Amino acid sequence: MNQLSLISEVRPAIKEVIRLEVSQLISNVSKVETVKAKQGKVKCTDVTCTVCGMSCDDIEVLMANDEITTKNACTIGDARFQVLLSHDRIVYPVVYGERQEWMRAVETAADMLIKAKRPLIFLGGETSTEAMAAGIEIAELLGGLVDGNSSICHGPTIMGLQNTGQVGCTLGECRNRSDLSIYWGCNPSESHPRHLSRHSMYNRGFFVEQGSRGRKMIVVDSRLSSTAALADLHVQIKPGSDYELLDALMVALRGEEVNEAVEKVTGVSMDTIDKLVDMVKACKFGVIWMGLGIASTRGKSHNPAIAMRLAQLCNDYTKFVILANRVECNDAGLNQVLTWTTGFPFAVDFSRGYPRYQPGEYTCVDAICRGEVDAVLSISADLGGHLPKKAVERLMNVPVVSIEVSPGPQAFVSDVILPGVIDGMECDGTFYRMDNVPIRARSFTEPPFEFTKSNEDTLRMLLKVIKQKKEDMEGR
Amino acid sequence: MDIILNTGSTVYQGAIIKGGNKFTDGYTREAAYCNINPKDFDALGKPWFVRLTNEYGDSVVVRAKKTNTQQVGEVFVPRGIWANVVVTPETESTGSPKYKNLPIKIEKCEGPVMGPEELMRNYYSKGRKSDFYERTKYLDKKSGQKEH
Repeated sequence: MNQLSLISEVRPAIKEVIRLEVSQLISNVSKVETVKAKQGKVKCTDVTCTVCGMSCDDIEVLMANDEITTKNACTIGDARFQVLLSHDRIVYPVVYGERQEWMRAVETAADMLIKAKRPLIFLGGETSTEAMAAGIEIAELLGGLVDGNSSICHGPTIMGLQNTGQVGCTLGECRNRSDLSIYWGCNPSESHPRHLSRHSMYNRGFFVEQGSRGRKMIVVDSRLSSTAALADLHVQIKPGSDYELLDALMVALRGEEVNEAVEKVTGVSMDTIDKLVDMVKACKFGVIWMGLGIASTRGKSHNPAIAMRLAQLCNDYTKFVILANRVECNDAGLNQVLTWTTGFPFAVDFSRGYPRYQPGEYTCVDAICRGEVDAVLSISADLGGHLPKKAVERLMNVPVVSIEVSPGPQAFVSDVILPGVIDGMECDGTFYRMDNVPIRARSFTEPPFEFTKSNEDTLRMLLKVIKQKKEDMEGR
Repeated sequence: MDIILNTGSTVYQGAIIKGGNKFTDGYTREAAYCNINPKDFDALGKPWFVRLTNEYGDSVVVRAKKTNTQQVGEVFVPRGIWANVVVTPETESTGSPKYKNLPIKIEKCEGPVMGPEELMRNYYSKGRKSDFYERTKYLDKKSGQKEH
């Protein structure tokens, strides 16, 4: 009997227990065993964490009426699960600072977007793939711009990938094979706390049975970060000299003489470069993990491009791959969904009725700062808290519709706020992990309101209203 | 003093923003500080607070932290609304603003550090043309929904 049929058999019985014990808190648990059922606690296993790009799918959540306890989740993941019972949650729609009925709020949002000449649909990284597809439909219907978190984070990496091509693999391969990890411009012990223990360093792999003793770790970072403190070799470069060092490494790897000026420019000694190259050549399976330190710094898309070329060159000597440490759980999802619907990974414009792609022109920050955008629909993104001040100031002066879970800086720029659902926890959803593997996150609870079941549901309603209103306008 | 600013995530700042606690004191504690190399820290006059200013003249006050993790001539501020005051929106045609390797000025100053709501009202909302749209944004009237 396969796992799915087992679950469907077990489910009805469990649902009954849940209704009795946890009173509407949990509805649709994928795989559940009741623990201390008399005390009203339910344990959900194989839950997917929808916080960072790793999308850990081995989380255990112990739910009771008044508390949530997690197992295997990191500090950041646990904080996200606690939102389910948080008292500080947006639970009703707000229009111009006043509480409003759901459909009235959706209609107001639709009016704002229809009136705009150049609306921007911003799909946040915590949105499920299904909701993203609905968001893209809205943009197409309105003739607006579509962008997402992947442009303000790893947009340059995607551009580098388009230029060079990426030698990639799945996280499972890294876990089982890699004996050298190079963390370039990233600090996974802070940004992806389970990265080292689960995929790259401390776990025992099929071909790396010794765990951390069988693996080496290099960190290239201008800071002595908490990851760098654990490394076998910390290459402390001057900020903004990544391209030069990557170029020098390629020269050294080919056995050619490296120009001495590199020491002065990058702050890295020749001995360190030689040591790094020796470690690369000695490993059996190496991985370069790219962080935002490589994509957001001087050189932007050229840095990931040359890093990918370095990974290609390393394959002349050993097996080497390169992966990006994506920040949000569905950053990669936006690239995937947009690519299969429009052909482009981010920064897409529908104003001419067909998709066009131009980073720097149709990307969120650029379009907002130029004053081009005259309405914004933001989904689980908190633009107010993530964009530079100049861009947020612009948002203050245009109509903004937000779908948000918790009040935050985004609330200051929003005219209409629609309560958000936590995709992957309160409704099912698909999320693309940092290695572009889709993970199906199954819900284990329900949203604390009745008017919508998921962010996709909200966006489909909005799409329907926009469609209706546009038809009415054209009919007249 | 001219210095290079790098912003980035930390685990505690991540836990606060993912936990939906962006209007708490914890957010100020975990995101409104600046890591400074001991040599730069002494050169600044051992400050409690520092003011960071970008090329446009936008500035923000954060707590100063003396740490050995930074190189001389380089400071680190966790990702958040304090750092974003000085982050400039130039993307070099890539869509990604200058979150890293941004030349700024740093100086010793008096506190206090503004809380998140105060910062949003006084800094980010300053450029708002209230007469342009005769209506209120969400938080002009309410500061949160506590009914859940």
